[in-house]
Amino acid sequence: MVDPASGPFLFDTSAESWLARTKQSDLLNWMRAYLSLHPIHVSAVTVLERIRGYGLIWRHAREERRETIESARVAYLSALGPVWPLDGAVAVVAGEIMALVPDPPTPPKRSHHLAESRQERLSRWRFDGMIAATALVARMPLIHNNAADFEPVRSAIERSPTRFPRLGPLELIRCTSLA
Amino acid sequence: MTLPSDSLTKAKSIARARKVNLSTVISEALSEGLKAHAATERSEEVLALYRKSFSGFSDNELSLLDGIVLEPVARR
Repeated sequence: MVDPASGPFLFDTSAESWLARTKQSDLLNWMRAYLSLHPIHVSAVTVLERIRGYGLIWRHAREERRETIESARVAYLSALGPVWPLDGAVAVVAGEIMALVPDPPTPPKRSHHLAESRQERLSRWRFDGMIAATALVARMPLIHNNAADFEPVRSAIERSPTRFPRLGPLELIRCTSLA
Repeated sequence: MTLPSDSLTKAKSIARARKVNLSTVISEALSEGLKAHAATERSEEVLALYRKSFSGFSDNELSLLDGIVLEPVARR
């Protein structure tokens, strides 16, 4: 159990949506307690990934569904808390992370007859690096739903502390361990 | 304005201990209570907005919203 008062935390893209969709009452209560004390901090990269997603869904949707998609997008933007920019400091730290762990630690996602291209997987991996860098620069623990990808980043930072002066360790918190 | 007698007794005792008048203690307590109420309301409002943001989408669409772009696999 993570004390909501020990926040604020930075939420990774998939953690934010997973927690928003959870039906587990203990996690919902944790979210209520957290939101009454702190806003949800995210990286600008999360907003980019999300808005690209809404855009792609909207573009491929039938006309009669587009209004619903747009109202979901507006709801997301209305709920947004502080958005951390991809500034010089984050860029420097993200570059170091990408040099230390250049390749994605997990393969591209697959689902039935669909698959993620290698190029998309690499972009998503680099976005994860930018989100981890944002958490380090913002000095906030990162709430994630993807240990397989973020743990190698945390270990790499721990093994090369001189590349991250006065920063780190990267503190990771799994969504499922919050409540 | 009327106050429950036990709350009033507690407020008087706090006022005596802090050497301030009763209205200071009551206005501070009211202000804290209103702040907590507003925070709870905002928390419910944000949670409802978040739930609306991700409802009505298929699994593949939710992947897209998480930044995962899946494309049809070419058949050989």
